[in-house]
Amino acid sequence: MAKAAAKHRADSIEARQNRYGYAFIMPWLIGLFAFTLIPMAFSLMLSFCKWDIVTGLSTIEFIGTKNYTKIFADKKFYKALEVTFRFCLISIPFYQITSLLIAMLLNMRIKFMRTFRLIFFLPSIIPTIATSMIWAQILGKEGLINQGLKLLGIKGPAWLNTPKTALYGLILMGVWGIGNTMIIYLSGLQGVSEELYEAAEIDGANAFQRFFKITLPMISMTIFFNVVMAIIGSFQYFTQAFVMTEGGPLNSTLFYNLYLYVKAYKELKMGYASALAWIMFIIIMFFTMLTIKSSALWVYASSDDKI
Amino acid sequence: MTKAEKINPRKETTAGKIGRYLAMALLFGLSVVVLIPLVWTICMALKPDGEVYNGKFFPSVLVWNNFYKAVTSIDFFLYLGNTMKIVVPNVIGQVLSCAVVAYGFARFNFKGKRVWFLILLATMMIPGQVTMIPQFLLYREIGWINTYLPLTVPAFFATSGYNVFLLRSYMSGIPKDFDEAATIDGADPVRIFTTIMLPMCKPVLTAITVFTFMGTWNDFNGPLIYLYDANKYTLSLGLSFFKGLYTSQWNLLMAATVLVMLPILVIFFLAQDYIIDGISISSGTKG
Repeated sequence: MAKAAAKHRADSIEARQNRYGYAFIMPWLIGLFAFTLIPMAFSLMLSFCKWDIVTGLSTIEFIGTKNYTKIFADKKFYKALEVTFRFCLISIPFYQITSLLIAMLLNMRIKFMRTFRLIFFLPSIIPTIATSMIWAQILGKEGLINQGLKLLGIKGPAWLNTPKTALYGLILMGVWGIGNTMIIYLSGLQGVSEELYEAAEIDGANAFQRFFKITLPMISMTIFFNVVMAIIGSFQYFTQAFVMTEGGPLNSTLFYNLYLYVKAYKELKMGYASALAWIMFIIIMFFTMLTIKSSALWVYASSDDKI
Repeated sequence: MTKAEKINPRKETTAGKIGRYLAMALLFGLSVVVLIPLVWTICMALKPDGEVYNGKFFPSVLVWNNFYKAVTSIDFFLYLGNTMKIVVPNVIGQVLSCAVVAYGFARFNFKGKRVWFLILLATMMIPGQVTMIPQFLLYREIGWINTYLPLTVPAFFATSGYNVFLLRSYMSGIPKDFDEAATIDGADPVRIFTTIMLPMCKPVLTAITVFTFMGTWNDFNGPLIYLYDANKYTLSLGLSFFKGLYTSQWNLLMAATVLVMLPILVIFFLAQDYIIDGISISSGTKG
């Protein structure tokens, strides 16, 4: 009798937990289906279809893998991939090394450390549109960069209007906004125990040895996180290219995401653009997985913080 | 005895001291480099029309009137109002819905909780481009294009997995004793949520408010896709539109740019610790 009552109570507690739990997460659950899962399914379907924007759902036409075969024969698609990968290959090492070096300087016991930290972080919170406006001008023919070069007797190009330099102009602009990455490195560095360095010093390790044998392995998780975020960010690079170069000149800054936007909203090829989006998703997943898998080789994880 | 030596009992070597001074000099130099673009922007914003292309860094006279001219020619206050029509619902929506959902994940043991939470984390990995097109077509079917609805309604459904994650961790750290005491006093979960949880989560809620404000204020892609009429534009869109119209008037463009980034800079200086901590936490290196 008492057992049955206890069981009944346990049941009702469980039911209560279920009821309240689901009631509270309901907004997210609805949003998950409405804004993520259903659109994803729809998007996958669209990528195998031809969709006329004017007539809409009633004239949707299944065309199999035609969108994909067309994409793989599309010169601009390869150009967009090339631009994005070139941006990755140059900007990622450049930004990671710069932000790590600044973070290391900031991690020394230095006066005004807070002020310095604020200054280096500041540009990264400036709205992208504002940054783009500022740099469109700095990189102009009479801009700040060329004025600096003039002092050295070099005549600089109109960076964003020259096919050879436009992408490098954008890469240079990006280094101004590495504050986020830098802060993450700084907090990673602050997690490295001081004792390790002291022990190494006693053993006679010099600064280089300390950096390569202690600092780098200890912050390898942080490097890993930043690199993954940087790859994803490169594939989503949009506003700067849209506002400053519109992908030009001669498609030299046609970033993948910009090409996707043009296909979807300028040419209104929704099926084609959906296929582009799925290819992008697969590429991002591939590189994220590759970084995660390879991390076993180079990321140091102490036994309590395995990924 | 300097302060640093008191903190660190280890006696500092001369080499260490020189290193520290070198680092400081280097940081100072780099700070100047980082700040130059901002100073240049402000100088450009204050230049008279004739000096825009004269190649000098500083203006000969400060033309404060440029700000007035920029505000009137760009329709600044219209765009500001439009931006706020998107920013305010987003802040309210994200803060409320994410707190409610995080409370569900933090305090109740419902069936499938683990799986749902993993899905929540996984959705943070999905690039927005994958869902962007179908969402657009969907909104188009129900006539939401060229309204603020696609840019505000989703915020009420805890669409930021990151916010939920942040809040849930914080709530899990609050001792359950509070809930139990309140339950004995006859409070139901809704009451516990509003009278205990929300007030105790104030620091995270502030951080989320700041992040959502900045994110929405800065958003360019969303308004670009959904808003067609120039009189519905946000500041970001308005500014890029303005760039197309007045390509040679860099002084006015820069004045407008300064005005667009000013609120963000003010918020940054007021809430710098929240922002910097939030970023550190996001990388999992802290907290």
